[in-house]
Amino acid sequence: MSSAAVRRGTLALTVAMMLAPAMAAAATKTDAEAAIAAARKAEAAAGVLQNQWLPTEAALKMAAKALAAGKYDAAVATAKRAHALAELSIQQAREQDKLWHNEVVR
Amino acid sequence: MFHSRLRAAALLAGMLGAMVLAQAPARAAPAPNPEADRLAFQAYFRKNYPAVKNSDWGNGPYALNAGMRKQWEAIMQFPPYEFALAAGEKEFNRKFANGRSYADCFPNKGIGIRQNYPYFDTKTGEVVTLGIAINRCRVANGEKPLGYKKGLLAAIETYMAHTSRGKPFDIKVPNDPRALAAYEAGKKFFYSRRGQLNFSCASCHVQKAGHRLRGDILAPALGIMAAFPIYRSKWGEMGTIQWRFVGCNKQVRSVPFKPQSKIYRDLEYFLSYMSNGVPITGPGARP
Ligand code: HEC
Repeated sequence: MSSAAVRRGTLALTVAMMLAPAMAAAATKTDAEAAIAAARKAEAAAGVLQNQWLPTEAALKMAAKALAAGKYDAAVATAKRAHALAELSIQQAREQDKLWHNEVVR
Repeated sequence: MFHSRLRAAALLAGMLGAMVLAQAPARAAPAPNPEADRLAFQAYFRKNYPAVKNSDWGNGPYALNAGMRKQWEAIMQFPPYEFALAAGEKEFNRKFANGRSYADCFPNKGIGIRQNYPYFDTKTGEVVTLGIAINRCRVANGEKPLGYKKGLLAAIETYMAHTSRGKPFDIKVPNDPRALAAYEAGKKFFYSRRGQLNFSCASCHVQKAGHRLRGDILAPALGIMAAFPIYRSKWGEMGTIQWRFVGCNKQVRSVPFKPQSKIYRDLEYFLSYMSNGVPITGPGARP
């Protein structure tokens, strides 16, 4: 992944984490379900690129658990983290699609 | 240091590794040329590790580290794969219910042929590893397929590798667009950075071969398939190449693929081809 992309990703992650608690205070079941669905969609896209990350999967599981336990604020926050991680992995796959040539022994 | 880098925050690890790349524009994709790749690959290792003999590349970390080699030589006086070897030989010679046996499924009755796997099957258009060939044989003879990570399949491979010791890898990439595509897919996987830690296989097994990572010495990618299957103390049993791929994907926090999935077979095909000329040393033993 390029350093610019990593920086962009870090920013996205930070913003997501900052926003999450503020929004979570009022999160409903519908909010939580929507956030999880959106994160799952991004993770499925990473799967098509054969580039899913373990922390994304872990966050998705945690979000689903929080939803089941009725902790909607936590579910939204964790789903947003999963979503941000999934986006990073997609970005990594897209960039590596070209950059891998640079690592070839020649 | 490499060690602390891996343990540092994932994004930091990514940035360190990627800064060089970010400045270099991506190179254009050249037409696939496996033999040119192999010559460059082997020249790199032979130049950077001039003391390693050709017969030693199949000994993984022991080829590059004298301290570990001593421990290994001590272990090899009572090789931990002996049980699997005996079990594998017994199974290999067992008659299936239909009276046939494994020998009937393989060239040269399955003896001394491990160095020819994986091969590209021009009929089905896909890469056939030794594990796949063993299960194909079983299914064709009315037996249940075996799991691909360990157990009986690893034992059969242990025996088949043992009968092939010293025979140099001799992998063929036929001039067939499907074979070249499989080879390229394996090559791309090997060199692509993956997982939250943003490492490629090459980051560790090319660029850092011989360096220490936690308690391990990183095996060089040249010859890295030659010792399999291996008895790994951490596993407490014999394991296949495909199991090792799963572990190496996980340690960079990447979701692993199923053993013998297409991408892992292509990866094994590429890596084995890179080792053409390096003798089989398997079965192996690792800490
Ligand atoms: C973060 C570093 C790292 C990355 C990235 C990595 N590995 Fe490994 N690998 C290790 C370590 C540590 C070991 C255990 C010590 C050793 O044998 O090198 C190992 C062992 C192996 C072995 C067994 C070598 C032997 O002789 O026992 C194989 C094969 C292997 N890796 C393949 C791969 C492949 C293929 C990839 C890419 C999918 C990969 N590794 C990515 C660190 C890494």
